[in-house]
Amino acid sequence: MDVGLLAQILINGVFLGGLYAIMALGLALVWGVLNIVNLAHGAFIMLGAYLSWYLYAGLGIDPFLGLPINAVVMFMVGYALQRGLLNLVVRAPMFNTLLITFGLEVVLTYLAQLAFSADFRTINPPYAGNSIALGSLVLPQARLMAFGVAVVLTVAMWAFLLRTKLGRAIRATAQNLVAARLYGVEPRHLYATTFGIGIGLAGAAGGLYGTVSQINPYIGATLTAKCFAISIIGGLDNPLGVLLGGLVLGVIESLAVLYIGATFADVASFSVLVLVLIVRPRGLLGKAA
Amino acid sequence: MPIGDGQNPLLKVGALGAGYGGMLMLRDISLEVRRAEIVALVGGNGAGKTTLLRALSRVIASTGSIEFDGRDLVPMTPDEAFGAGLVQVPEGRQLFDRMSVEDNLRMGAYRRGDQAAVSRDLDRMYAIFPRLSDRRQQIAGSMSGGEQQMCAMARGLMAAPKLLMIDEMSLGLAPVVVEQLMDVLAAIRGEGVAILLVEQDVHLALSACDRGYVLEAGQIVREGMAKELADDPAVRRAYLGI
Repeated sequence: MDVGLLAQILINGVFLGGLYAIMALGLALVWGVLNIVNLAHGAFIMLGAYLSWYLYAGLGIDPFLGLPINAVVMFMVGYALQRGLLNLVVRAPMFNTLLITFGLEVVLTYLAQLAFSADFRTINPPYAGNSIALGSLVLPQARLMAFGVAVVLTVAMWAFLLRTKLGRAIRATAQNLVAARLYGVEPRHLYATTFGIGIGLAGAAGGLYGTVSQINPYIGATLTAKCFAISIIGGLDNPLGVLLGGLVLGVIESLAVLYIGATFADVASFSVLVLVLIVRPRGLLGKAA
Repeated sequence: MPIGDGQNPLLKVGALGAGYGGMLMLRDISLEVRRAEIVALVGGNGAGKTTLLRALSRVIASTGSIEFDGRDLVPMTPDEAFGAGLVQVPEGRQLFDRMSVEDNLRMGAYRRGDQAAVSRDLDRMYAIFPRLSDRRQQIAGSMSGGEQQMCAMARGLMAAPKLLMIDEMSLGLAPVVVEQLMDVLAAIRGEGVAILLVEQDVHLALSACDRGYVLEAGQIVREGMAKELADDPAVRRAYLGI
């Protein structure tokens, strides 16, 4: 076995996994707090990717420097959407939430097709082709930067949920809505803020995705499925668990591509999902209730 | 501040009626709680104790008058009543089970802006509840029932209440633990906070309070000093099994 090749595949998998983690973080947060499995999450990642594309192609804003703009715009979209539409299904039966978010996914995908056309696009900043050589390993610069941003954002989310007053209120509401209301938490505002954060993260993840991969209006559904698997593997409680889940999935997919062929990558990752559900249903870092 | 704090009761309820969907559960309830007083509201299962708490905290509508700290409580939302200083420690404790003790206490102060004062109050809580002080970082749901009840009471106090309404404090706890909680009630009163203790355990409640009200089928059937109530033949027959 070629050790150099294996190391390169592992590096690729880790870079991919970091990106997966930041994609899944918003889905896991919304799922854990609002009890909504947002089937439109991938569509919001897709919108974020187009937003970064237009910021770069139209206004010349670097995709990495444009991420804060992207996240803020998408936060506002998410906040408004939750306040206006999804508040109807918070803590409603799971089927209702699946139905409404699936509808949202379809609408967003086809609106995107109308607005952006079905052409494939990539965000190509001047450094897109650059890479750093580390011995025999090749580290593509854009992927390295995307990985770095993803890890920093994930750790920042972890610190936010653990250390800030708003983060504490979000966790408290997820754990005990009755008590949270009793002590003055206003659930509608809190839910909308949480959903806004989830969509803001999706937007940022989309911007990162666009710098390392091709985008088209139909990427959403597949990404939602991956985010769903990562959330289960990592657990909904803890952003660090989601990061771990993303890394696991990224590495397994990369190894599967190498050893059993690209068509089996998804088979491998969803097999891991099933395995985790059997062996450790609370997720890798999930705590007992 | 109302003039003559010493005379005016903190909470004054007059001819209160309340119920659910046209079914009247409470009729003609009148009661008072004075500042830094511990008052027991006792009665059997289904007597209307929890309904009365819900009416006081404005979760359900009611007729009659409720005056709290010189203000009319009737038109207020639950949020406004909470902001006025009427804080509830709910039945079953309702802690944030997977959060640390300290995070639970900080959630009690969620609506307070002055972080320096919140930090001071946190230290005060650890002085009143030394058991919690040893367990600041412990996950609340992993503590014993008595410790969880202390955590729930401390969380309530972190909201800086004028009146703390504790629903079924002793439920499911060993007598020795309940005795410790009773000592804590005295300490809370020492901080100037009034307590309305809602209990099924009549004997316990009357032994620890200044005054008491006995609720039966939605009406107050007895009221008075706790000692007199405990000696009242009717109360003894009905609730103390003597």
